[in-house]
Amino acid sequence: MADAADEVARAGSALTRSDLLRKGTTAAFAVSMFGGLTDRALGVYGPLKFAKKELSGELRIMTWAHFVPDYDKWLDGTYAKQWGEANDVEVKIDHINNALLYSTGAAEVAAQSGHDLFWFISPPATFQKQAIPVTDLVQEVSKKVGRMTRVARKSTYNPATKQFYGFPESYAPDPVQYRRSQLQQAGVSLRTWDDLRQGAAKLKAIGHPVGLGMSNEIDSNMLLTSLLYCYGGYIQNEDNRIVIGQGANRKGAIQALQVMKEIYSSGMSDEVFAWTAASNNQAFLAGRLSVALNAISIVRSAEDSGNQALSDDTWLASIPRGPVQRLGNEHVMGVYLIWKFAQNKEAAQKYVVDQMLAYEDHFVRSKFYNFPPWTNSIKGGFKTIREVATKDPHKPKGKYSILTTIAEKYTTNPGHPGNTTPVMDEIYNTFLIPQMFAEVAQGKSSPADAVGRFASKAQSIYRKWHNQKLV
Amino acid sequence: MEAQAARWTPTRRRWRHALESRRVLAPLLIAPAVVFMVLVVGVPLVWAIYLSFTDAVGGSLSGHWVGFDNFTNAWHDDNFRRALRNTLIFTLASQAIVVVGAAILSNFLVRDFRGKWIIRFLVVLPWAAPVVLSTIIWLWLLDSLYSVVNWTLAELHLDHALVWLLGAVHLEEGAQVPLQWLGRPNLALIAITVVHAWRILPFAVVIFIAGRSSIPTEVEDASRIDGATGFKKLWYVDLPLQLPIALVAVLFGIVFTAVDFAVVYILTHGGPFNSTQVLPTWAYAVGIDSGSLGEGAAISLFLFPLLVLVTVGMLFFARRAQVS
Amino acid sequence: MTRRQTIVTYLVVVPFAIFLAFPFFFALITMFKTNLDLANVEHVPYTYNDLAGNLHWDFWNYATFEHVRFLFEETNYPTWLLNTVIVGGAVVVITLLLAMPAGYALARLAGGWGQGAGVGIFLVYLVPPTLLFLPLSRLVSQLGLKDSLWALILVYPSFTVPFATWLLMGFFKTIPQELEEAALMDGASRLKALRLIVLPVSLPGILTVVIFAFSLCVNEFIYAFTFISSSEQRTISAGIPNDLIRGDVFFWQSLMAATLIPAIPLALLYNAFLDRFIKGFTGGAFR
Repeated sequence: MADAADEVARAGSALTRSDLLRKGTTAAFAVSMFGGLTDRALGVYGPLKFAKKELSGELRIMTWAHFVPDYDKWLDGTYAKQWGEANDVEVKIDHINNALLYSTGAAEVAAQSGHDLFWFISPPATFQKQAIPVTDLVQEVSKKVGRMTRVARKSTYNPATKQFYGFPESYAPDPVQYRRSQLQQAGVSLRTWDDLRQGAAKLKAIGHPVGLGMSNEIDSNMLLTSLLYCYGGYIQNEDNRIVIGQGANRKGAIQALQVMKEIYSSGMSDEVFAWTAASNNQAFLAGRLSVALNAISIVRSAEDSGNQALSDDTWLASIPRGPVQRLGNEHVMGVYLIWKFAQNKEAAQKYVVDQMLAYEDHFVRSKFYNFPPWTNSIKGGFKTIREVATKDPHKPKGKYSILTTIAEKYTTNPGHPGNTTPVMDEIYNTFLIPQMFAEVAQGKSSPADAVGRFASKAQSIYRKWHNQKLV
Repeated sequence: MEAQAARWTPTRRRWRHALESRRVLAPLLIAPAVVFMVLVVGVPLVWAIYLSFTDAVGGSLSGHWVGFDNFTNAWHDDNFRRALRNTLIFTLASQAIVVVGAAILSNFLVRDFRGKWIIRFLVVLPWAAPVVLSTIIWLWLLDSLYSVVNWTLAELHLDHALVWLLGAVHLEEGAQVPLQWLGRPNLALIAITVVHAWRILPFAVVIFIAGRSSIPTEVEDASRIDGATGFKKLWYVDLPLQLPIALVAVLFGIVFTAVDFAVVYILTHGGPFNSTQVLPTWAYAVGIDSGSLGEGAAISLFLFPLLVLVTVGMLFFARRAQVS
Repeated sequence: MTRRQTIVTYLVVVPFAIFLAFPFFFALITMFKTNLDLANVEHVPYTYNDLAGNLHWDFWNYATFEHVRFLFEETNYPTWLLNTVIVGGAVVVITLLLAMPAGYALARLAGGWGQGAGVGIFLVYLVPPTLLFLPLSRLVSQLGLKDSLWALILVYPSFTVPFATWLLMGFFKTIPQELEEAALMDGASRLKALRLIVLPVSLPGILTVVIFAFSLCVNEFIYAFTFISSSEQRTISAGIPNDLIRGDVFFWQSLMAATLIPAIPLALLYNAFLDRFIKGFTGGAFR
């Protein structure tokens, strides 16, 4: 811990507020200024010179209510407080339900006033004109800790404007969570989607169906997109054009739709169309579901539930492989926007950069939910991450190691192989993907028709945003 | 001193006369309310109408003029058309239930019986609870796994019968037990309609009761003398006299249901597969969540002309019925 | 009533009452359930089961106050309740101040305007708040009211005043003109007549407005959500869904409790004043 503190103190602390908030200072300067203050508390950011004093600046941050409540408690009560005390800024963090981030963001834009930093649960491509570009901040961090991951880059870079419009803060991979005893009992493997397709009926027969949602909510959006990737049914291409209606993409999408339809009819029940984001968690924790695709909130809730047997029996796996590849979406891609009308842009810029220079605490405190967009924000990169994850004490030991593999190799951004554009944003927020899958599964449409309809809708959405010059 | 007094009096009297004059007093009294409404509703409304003709994005309150494009694009989207259809279905179906239910219940609630106070308390409950919170309770009642409705049906051995019935009337074929009230499109339509009706019923009952008590006693006596009782009385005397009130109750119900956002958003989020979207929720998904503000504004305002016509029509009829 | 009429009456009103009150009855049970009891699909939802799923006569021993305690001690629930009452109260006052003169004027003084006003009043309700909240956000922020209860107190009368005006307009029409004429004959000014004669008689109408306006305020949530971001400033319609639904997890028992606690007193209140309310309505629009 001391190493990290020194490191960051060298990188980021300073005496004067204006120096502080605009650029970092050198080690020598910092040490010379604070060398004599041995009686002050030593926080993560070096001596908390401004602790217990009236802080002169203010930084207002809006973020979500994290799935792991302890993370928020730590963030508000320890991290932000200490950062503020080290930088003479009072940090106020508001948490709201993630479903309301967009409407609150829109209200702030309409009002042209609000918070300085606004966090979004997925890349807020539609708001990019309202935020200041952060390309310089991205470069600053990259210079210090190395390249950012592909997921982060594709999520926050707009090739049309050649700028990073948002600062990536974290991402959460999307592992499969399953009941090992039940899968063993039914003799089902999760290696490929075909294995799952064949095994779904066996799982339902032992009373523990598969839980892959096709509802109007985020879990369904993410897992169905992942399924499309595995079958090569890309919605966009590298240039962000809509390609799902043609050629190999169309074939892949049709295959994916058929697979899902079979899994539903043989191995799932109607409930998957009625789900909220919490429903698959609840059903899994009630012992009913055998397989779910979700961020690790399920397995963590199992650990907290007091049901030891369930928790030990819940294992993680990577997404099954499809004929084309094994690839999944991130479940959450946290991106900060600094509004054009932010009152304290300097503090906002420093805050996000500082956070990215020493990410290990965030990773651990969020119980591995938050992966760093710059892998080396945690010293040692994926190697260290894997070590930390494997050390997790919950049984079976080492079960979180696979999470690192998923984050490292099998996680990509929505809109792969293109960027996360406003087009993808709109497709997600109007739930066109679950709609396409559910229509086929419930027999209301043939796969070919459903793909065709989806493609033409995606095309008109593309045209609209293209006219806005945002894609 | 006296000259001063003499000079002041005519002015004061002129003011008093002015205030007495209808032409001055009326606008003066109405002005605060009107000014307030213009500022807080009028201006934003005009702005919203303007937005619907632009390509505004994000939360930005301005954009390029695109004419009627937003409206025509919306019309060509089948999700929009379904949202429009659903708005009409939910509104008409739930209000039909409300009118019939309120007419019946109000008829009996004006009688005197033991436990009347408790019954009235229970009837008023849905109105007293904020809509967001009571809808969350319904979300739990209809949960995909824990629905107490399904549990009760199963315990009473009515669940399979209900599934058969739904298939027999071709309302929902191939449904499984437990019924997914929020997961199958037609069941979801039914569920949402029921929750809308549940919410408005208490208010409508109160209005109907008010209507009953407005029936002059002479009419009651006259009809008794004429020998009109029971159903005959209901049809030929009570209902016509209640018409003005009934129309107002229906009008409120229609307005509150047509622009309602919470019930659909909380229960199904517009699902399954966007089959229960209504204009407010679809406008929100497109305009706010997806950032296409101009389009969202157009979708929101789509029903406005229709609702205006309905309102004017119903108020006109209410007036006519009242006078006669 | 005859015996037969009584039986028929019960046969009709009781099912209605059950249908309308059932969700609250179920909420009352659910709010005391332990987590393990709630999460087990095999358990009986109408009562409290022990860990093995058995039922007991002393069912209360298997219930818990934990979720109610959580609601009051670890969330800002009491603050939200207070905020809701403050906003409701202030808005009711503003509504009366704006609607009473307007209603009186339209009833007595404006002649033919009344009809057009009636239509205009309803039109206001046809505009969805899911759209209006954006330009209103700008207005609120420019007035410096962002993140404060005053934002709501300013905006809410926009949907309480129209109905209140319409209602009071109808109500004032039923008050015989002779009352005021007499006062005017005696030399009182119109305003004085309004204050001393008309006001006391219009108490039922005023009460109606109070109840209706208050219930509209308590129900509103879109503005409550978007104008106020900090938890301590929220009202119940915004605070409860925000803090008791954390992404993946619904705190069902606390949600049930949070709904019942305001609903019951409000229902008692509405019920107690129901007769007066009806008089206010009747006296109201239809003469």
